[in-house]
Amino acid sequence: MTRDESRTELGAVKIYKSAIASVVDIAANEIAGVKGVGTTFFSRLMLFFGKEHTEIKVTIDPRFEISIDVPLVIKYGYNVPEVCIRVQENIRVALEKTTNLSVKTIDVHVQGIAKEADK
Amino acid sequence: MRIFNVLGILFYAGILILIGIGMIVFAFNLLHPQDIFSFLEYLQSTMSTRAILGLSGLLLILISYSFAQLILGRMEREKTIAFKNPSGVVTISLSAIEGLIQQFVNFMPELKELRPDVIASKKGIIVNVKVSLRMEANLPELTARLQELIKTKVQEVLGTEEQIIIRIHISKIISQEERDRRKKESIKEEHTIPYGGFGRV
Repeated sequence: MTRDESRTELGAVKIYKSAIASVVDIAANEIAGVKGVGTTFFSRLMLFFGKEHTEIKVTIDPRFEISIDVPLVIKYGYNVPEVCIRVQENIRVALEKTTNLSVKTIDVHVQGIAKEADK
Repeated sequence: MRIFNVLGILFYAGILILIGIGMIVFAFNLLHPQDIFSFLEYLQSTMSTRAILGLSGLLLILISYSFAQLILGRMEREKTIAFKNPSGVVTISLSAIEGLIQQFVNFMPELKELRPDVIASKKGIIVNVKVSLRMEANLPELTARLQELIKTKVQEVLGTEEQIIIRIHISKIISQEERDRRKKESIKEEHTIPYGGFGRV
């Protein structure tokens, strides 16, 4: 698992990609109209075995710029592009606030549209 | 990922070639059923060979599954509508729109079944819908209403002004009699007690 690393006077600070993915997950779910982050068979299988696996992909380039890929499920009745733009904005703000890293791209993939009651 | 694809193709090609060679060898009578039988017997004879065989089987299943996932995933990925904005790209899976259209069955009681197929082309978004209807429906009125509903909802959800072409194909019309018959059958089935008549004179 690769991570972003920066050095302070006291030592190194490492931010794991999984931590960045968690921030992305929370920021995406904060937006009204987002049902949740998309899952695959593999992530559901991992969850079954008690290990969390997110489908959010985080890439950090040599210039410490982050690229994010987020699969999403949107709630029925919401305007998809509007929700996606708000998700992108919220993720950007959350990442810059929490990690001080600059965000290069946030690619959103709408995997499905689900009713409120659907699981 | 390309290496994985090449390995997968080589793997399947190898297996097919082996099967082909095996069949040719068998056809030329170079391989006897006894040889196969003795080989299978040898495989089952010790614990270690059985373990190797079982693990190989498991590995084959995993390889096949991951390869199928890769192909299906790519097919799914290709079926998307994408647009760019300053923060990045947004792709909307066409199966998501299909899922949305499928929910219209709940809004229109005249619909029995609805199977949408969404295609994104240069002309715009093409929605092919196969529907099963109930007999009492007025077809021109119903199809016009369905087209309007799909168009409005898809435009509303996607927020796009792109042209949406909706083609409706009525595949089945279920008559009232048939529906009653099916209903009766299902009620009958529900009330049947297993071995209910057993032992009665």
